[in-house]
Amino acid sequence: MARYEIRVAGFGGQGVITLSKMIVMASALYENLAATQTEAYSAAARGGRCWAEVVVDLDKEMKLIDYPKALEPYDFLIILSEESAKDVKPSSLKKGDSGFLIWDPSTIQKFRAAKRISKALSIPVQKLALEKFGNTVYGNTILFGAFTALSGIFSEESALKTIQEFVPSATLDKNIEAFELGKLEAQDFLKKLKEEGGN
Amino acid sequence: MNNQNGKRFLKPGRHLMMGNEAMAEGAISAGLRFFGGYPITPSTEVIEHLAKRLPQVGGVCMQMEDELASINSVMGASLVGAKAMTATSGPGLSLMVETISMAANLEIPFVFCDVQRCGPGTGSVTDPHHNDLGLVRFSGNGEFEVIALAPMNCQELFDLTITAFNYAETYRCPVFILSDAYLGHLHEVVDIPPKEEILNKVIKREVPPSEEISPRVFSYLDKVKNEYVIPKPPIMGTEYVPGMFLHTPHGPEGILSPDPFRFVQTMVDKIKTNKDKICLTENYKLDDAEIVIIAYGLPVRVSYRAIEIAREEGIKVGAFRLITVWPFPDEQVKEVVKNAKAVIVPELNYTGIIAEQVERVTPLGTPIIKVPQVAVFHHPDDILKAIREVAQ
Repeated sequence: MARYEIRVAGFGGQGVITLSKMIVMASALYENLAATQTEAYSAAARGGRCWAEVVVDLDKEMKLIDYPKALEPYDFLIILSEESAKDVKPSSLKKGDSGFLIWDPSTIQKFRAAKRISKALSIPVQKLALEKFGNTVYGNTILFGAFTALSGIFSEESALKTIQEFVPSATLDKNIEAFELGKLEAQDFLKKLKEEGGN
Repeated sequence: MNNQNGKRFLKPGRHLMMGNEAMAEGAISAGLRFFGGYPITPSTEVIEHLAKRLPQVGGVCMQMEDELASINSVMGASLVGAKAMTATSGPGLSLMVETISMAANLEIPFVFCDVQRCGPGTGSVTDPHHNDLGLVRFSGNGEFEVIALAPMNCQELFDLTITAFNYAETYRCPVFILSDAYLGHLHEVVDIPPKEEILNKVIKREVPPSEEISPRVFSYLDKVKNEYVIPKPPIMGTEYVPGMFLHTPHGPEGILSPDPFRFVQTMVDKIKTNKDKICLTENYKLDDAEIVIIAYGLPVRVSYRAIEIAREEGIKVGAFRLITVWPFPDEQVKEVVKNAKAVIVPELNYTGIIAEQVERVTPLGTPIIKVPQVAVFHHPDDILKAIREVAQ
């Protein structure tokens, strides 16, 4: 058993739930891992505290996730609104190999806890999506790219198959570009972490 | 109407599905042909999904004007030979009990999906709460037995819905699937078996060959074998039509009877005497367990997590899972709790509906610890705390 606990939180309509569904699809359908996704529902899916969680068991032998909600400390947090940033503490994340935080400085002005989290990557997702691709919806695929590269829990091939399932075919190329952009941000970040660790 | 059987079965293999969709797909695989319902949170995705899917298989999904009309339409469809189902939540179930009682009386098979939400009254519509079992057990006036199944993941929402339809055909009593707001909205992989495998399992609704048509259309006691015989459900409008759909109790011989005692006895005992076939259970790490957890539905999964951690601490704890929550498997539970140091019953309700049943069969002196929770489901620590306390 090797539970990987993921939580995404932000505004309703920002793609929080879609992103979590992409993560569970890549893990469960294309990597054949046991995985469970849960989400804020109905009224709770609106406003600044919309959330979704995914638990993936990295142990290929496991068939069922027992407790279906993500347990704190998390392996991966994606925080996209100021309100949900308030719930994050450095102890919310695991130490060791995982314990990543991605947050969006174009929607969160103050995120004090992020400064005390060693593996915190800020990507101005909404801004980048609007500037480079003309629509904030591409933010999701940027994040998905960054998640894929940082977490390493599923292959890039599985991620690309998932994108094909989720986006309209006319926007596929643009989405793949957005995915690559997120991936590069994450790879740069990993390189930086490695250098810092080396010192 | 065309019977487009080609679309009845999904492609075999892994599918990512929401719980409510998995339940709907299980029903279609089981041969569901009529769904009558009135949308209610958190069950709405069931009717949404069936509105799309049932016409593809030659079935009908009908949104009625209210709950009472919904359940009545389901009974009507079942009477004329369609496998039928409704889905609702607690407040809807409250409105439907009148017809459920009538269906039990006439032994009309149907499946009832209850995606439970927080009560009482309208309650909190998006939160899970296992508070309907009391109502399910006594769903209507009169005495009769029902069957209630409690899946705990999306795969089981699919599989156990097929089982529920089979139980309805076999035992001709109301069969409930107890889901909840949380389980209904989980996304998980459902491994769809090949079509042949499903068809092998499914009990068909059909007019029996004429030589097999029994003059008895209701359940009766075979006095020679001393067992209840439950004839196949009659289908109105066929040669198997009984002229008997009267609102009158019928006796153990299956004919109209003025003997209400024997009628009620049949309604109850046709289920009770088949408990060994109806009661599905699961043992989890019970072999050396000194502490026994008894649970159903989602709290089972939380218990498994807690057991994992407790066993790392050297505490011998296991779980006995009720897949069939009702009828309650008295004998099996008796056996499991016989030598237990303590019994823990985590339930997603305050009163402990199943804990009461456990109390009934546990030796006096064995501590029974309830771990109640409402509207949010247990954190593993809640159960772990109870385990650690009794382990000391």
